[in-house]
Amino acid sequence: MSRVIGIDLGTTNSCVSVIENGQSTVIPNSGGYKTTPSMFGISQDGRRLVGHLAKRQAITNARNTVFAAKRLIGRRFDDPEVQKTIDLSPYEIVRGPNDDPRIKIGGKTFTCPEIAGIILREMKRVAEEYLSETVREAVITVPAYFNDNQRQCTKDAGKIAGLEVLRIINEPTAAALSYGMNREGDEKIAVYDLGGGTFDISILEMSDGVIEVLATSGNTFLGGEDFDRRIVQHLIEWFEETEGIDLRGDTMALQRLKDASEKAKCDLSMRDVVEINLPFIASDSEGPRHLNYELTRESLENLVHDVVEGTLKSVEQCCVDAGVQAQDIDQVVLVGGQTRMPLVQKRVTEHFGKRPHKGVNPDEVVGLGAAVQAAALLDSDNAMLLLDVTPLSLGIGTYGGHFSRLIERNTTVPVSKGHIFTTTRDDQSAVKIRVLQGESDMAAESDLLGEFVLSGIRPAAKGEPEIEVSFDIDANGIVSVSARDLATGKEQSITVSSTGTLSDTEIDEIIQEHDFYEVELKG
Amino acid sequence: MNVAFLLPAAHYSSLDGRYEFGGGLLGVESLSTAMDGVDRVLENVPDQKEQVLALSKECDATRLKLSSAEGYLLSRIDGATSWGLLREIGGIPSDQVDVCLSQWIAEGTLEIVAGKAPKKAAARPKSESKSGLTVEDAPASASVECAEDGSLVIDEGALDDRLDINLNIQKRILEFEVGLGRPYHILLGVAQGADPKTVKRAYFSLSKEFHPDRYFRKEIGVYGERLDRIFKKVLEAHEILSDPELCQCQNLSANLNGAGSAKSAPNAAPSVSPLDAAESPGESPAPPRELTKLERLRQRMPFKINHAAIAGRRARADEIFRAAQVSQQSGRLTEAEASLRIAISFDPGRSEFKEALGSLRIAAAGARATQLLAKPSERMSSGELFEALRLLEDVLPYRPHDPELNERAARVCLQLGKLDDAREYTDTLLIRSPESAPAHALLGRIHRERGETDEAVSAFERALKFDEEDLEARRALASVRIGARDAARGEKS
Repeated sequence: MSRVIGIDLGTTNSCVSVIENGQSTVIPNSGGYKTTPSMFGISQDGRRLVGHLAKRQAITNARNTVFAAKRLIGRRFDDPEVQKTIDLSPYEIVRGPNDDPRIKIGGKTFTCPEIAGIILREMKRVAEEYLSETVREAVITVPAYFNDNQRQCTKDAGKIAGLEVLRIINEPTAAALSYGMNREGDEKIAVYDLGGGTFDISILEMSDGVIEVLATSGNTFLGGEDFDRRIVQHLIEWFEETEGIDLRGDTMALQRLKDASEKAKCDLSMRDVVEINLPFIASDSEGPRHLNYELTRESLENLVHDVVEGTLKSVEQCCVDAGVQAQDIDQVVLVGGQTRMPLVQKRVTEHFGKRPHKGVNPDEVVGLGAAVQAAALLDSDNAMLLLDVTPLSLGIGTYGGHFSRLIERNTTVPVSKGHIFTTTRDDQSAVKIRVLQGESDMAAESDLLGEFVLSGIRPAAKGEPEIEVSFDIDANGIVSVSARDLATGKEQSITVSSTGTLSDTEIDEIIQEHDFYEVELKG
Repeated sequence: MNVAFLLPAAHYSSLDGRYEFGGGLLGVESLSTAMDGVDRVLENVPDQKEQVLALSKECDATRLKLSSAEGYLLSRIDGATSWGLLREIGGIPSDQVDVCLSQWIAEGTLEIVAGKAPKKAAARPKSESKSGLTVEDAPASASVECAEDGSLVIDEGALDDRLDINLNIQKRILEFEVGLGRPYHILLGVAQGADPKTVKRAYFSLSKEFHPDRYFRKEIGVYGERLDRIFKKVLEAHEILSDPELCQCQNLSANLNGAGSAKSAPNAAPSVSPLDAAESPGESPAPPRELTKLERLRQRMPFKINHAAIAGRRARADEIFRAAQVSQQSGRLTEAEASLRIAISFDPGRSEFKEALGSLRIAAAGARATQLLAKPSERMSSGELFEALRLLEDVLPYRPHDPELNERAARVCLQLGKLDDAREYTDTLLIRSPESAPAHALLGRIHRERGETDEAVSAFERALKFDEEDLEARRALASVRIGARDAARGEKS
């Protein structure tokens, strides 16, 4: 039987792991790097480039290089997050036929699952080269706040990459699995995940090989890229003040600033001061201009101070949700490259009153955890068992545009819950069950997962009929909803198969097309 | 079609028994199923008198959490004494003896070594189908029967050695499934009122045994559904036992069982559904006091809300909201916006937060606009020009004839080289104030940019007519004339 890999499909970088001889191992790519940039580009001569190759040409070919496509996957075009990404991206994002954002580079339009699929395919290839065998199955991680649709699109991406996705698990959970492997005793763990694009905090309880998620929360508007953006912003303002030239409209200058800021930020984790040197960043009638700026750790910390404080507010909320105090946490696991920043470590240490766990690599721990879960699923002798939870509350839309929750978020799955509902008008003969997901109390602000009508209700005064609505989530996270009229026994139900954005035939077409390119590249 | 929204009902029907052998162990049903199991045992006591019980080999008596009376009872089980005799021993009411023995059998602590252990299962399925069991539920549970005489018997025929799951485990699953109706603490194997840590341990260890992921991709046939049912029930037990408030209700019901008055419990909730009436005829209605407690539990289960957490979150949201207001008052608008977003994430239901964010955005845009527009367009960077134009375009639809806005828009467009737009704004301006010198000067500059020298000259002349002091126009006029003259000379030569 071929082996199963774990893939951390990150916003900025991706990482693939496998269990070898009972130990989880990160698989390095052919360049020897353990992580691969989640980037895809089409070069001027039409070649398709992934990972480091794509990143290398990103500056000169910004318009045809996709990065951070994970911010778009499974969202609607009008989603504020998509609009924000459009403002920040040098590549073109257009509205697709299903109201989904699509990416137009090199004269071709790609769906988001397709872009993610290209990156997954690259990770699969990295694993196959290393293992010298074909890989068909994978566990893939997603941020904890991802909704059903985003998870479905990630599964589609796996399919496009030629992988069967055994399970989608949450990134912080994966991190905890990786930490908890080969570890005994009872512990409460907090996973503080400050990645490229988002911030997640999860609190888990571990005992005797079982890991239970107690609570998860986070902020989708907050991540390492905000740190970069603050530096870029600062540099632009400074340059404008000293040189009188505004760099905001210059795509190539922006890309250079972005790269330089990211690098400066990373360097400042080790050093107290770095020099940002960008020659020929702009030019005007008086000739070329160079950007030369000294950034100190202290000024960086001032720039991003409130971002870090923002994460701690989410941490507090998560502690409240989990019903624990910050000081009850036995171990803090840091995930995501941004947690290397000394300010982040200092504030986290102060908040929990203890130093974070040192034994894990923040860039690799999620991918490793995915491999641990893959092994745990396929090998029942394996001691690890993950009691996973639903990421978002589920319920139905009720009278007045309200959202009645039947399954609260952070509920362990598999689970079934039911409730009795009734009609709102006399002699009402049918009810519409709208299955919603989200944290808002208003139906309009929640995601609609599906809907169906239960008809043939016996005529009665309003409030009299009893309609039992039950929700069921199985271990794979598949939601089915049924409604039953208790008087007649009539029943209607649906299995919520998230629509995704692609049909099966579309996926097949994409797979064929990419196979074609695969051949072309090697030839 | 006659479709409308639903409304949460204020009352709940009794659905007891329906799920006992069915598939959907709903949260709402938790309590009633627990009691129903014991209830059935009690009904059938007389047939059991002949049975002789013994401690089963796997039984670890130290693991059981027993009261002194229960311990005494257990000590009398020697493989020779019949059930009937055990009922007679002093100190423990005979109905309690029945409850204890049935539970121990169900748990696998005791086994029947002699006497009648008949497998009479014919009667029940009929009433089950009447009570609304769906077709697909029935086969899955058909192999496990609760025999009429109260003993719990596993149909060995359900064991299947072709499956990817060994026979001992199959047996264990079947046995556990039979006992799903037991009170929660017995289900989890903990003492009543056990501390949360013990409950969690038990829950974890049962999860390790019965979580469906343990058999991921294995060929386990109907055992998949069984595991699903068992795990959900274990989850439910943990949920209730680890919640002090719910646990209290549960304890109450457990006591009711012990006192033998549980017979009435399954019908305790207001029975509206005719199905229920058919299922348990002739049972006396419950005393109203218990009814309310049961109802409370039923109502709480599906919407279990951590009130402390919510209150904490609300308080936190308020705090952050106040911080946001302070930031806003002292002009730190980005900071205020960030705080407001966090406040909303803490308490999404509060409309005032969202309104505050909306008005803050307007204020922020306004502040930016004032700041931007205070700057003469000639001194703006291209980025600022674009931003200014966007702001102006946002506002102009509401005040399309405002001379100041139009003039600014025209200037910005001119600066950006959008001459057609600039012309349009200038024309609008001139309709409103045909005698405005700056407007004519602006028009002149637009014509000049377009290379329309004659129109430019006449526009600048008009500007000077309305305001002789307009230096900008005078200079521009001069330069246009000079330019025109130079051009004319160039052509001649």
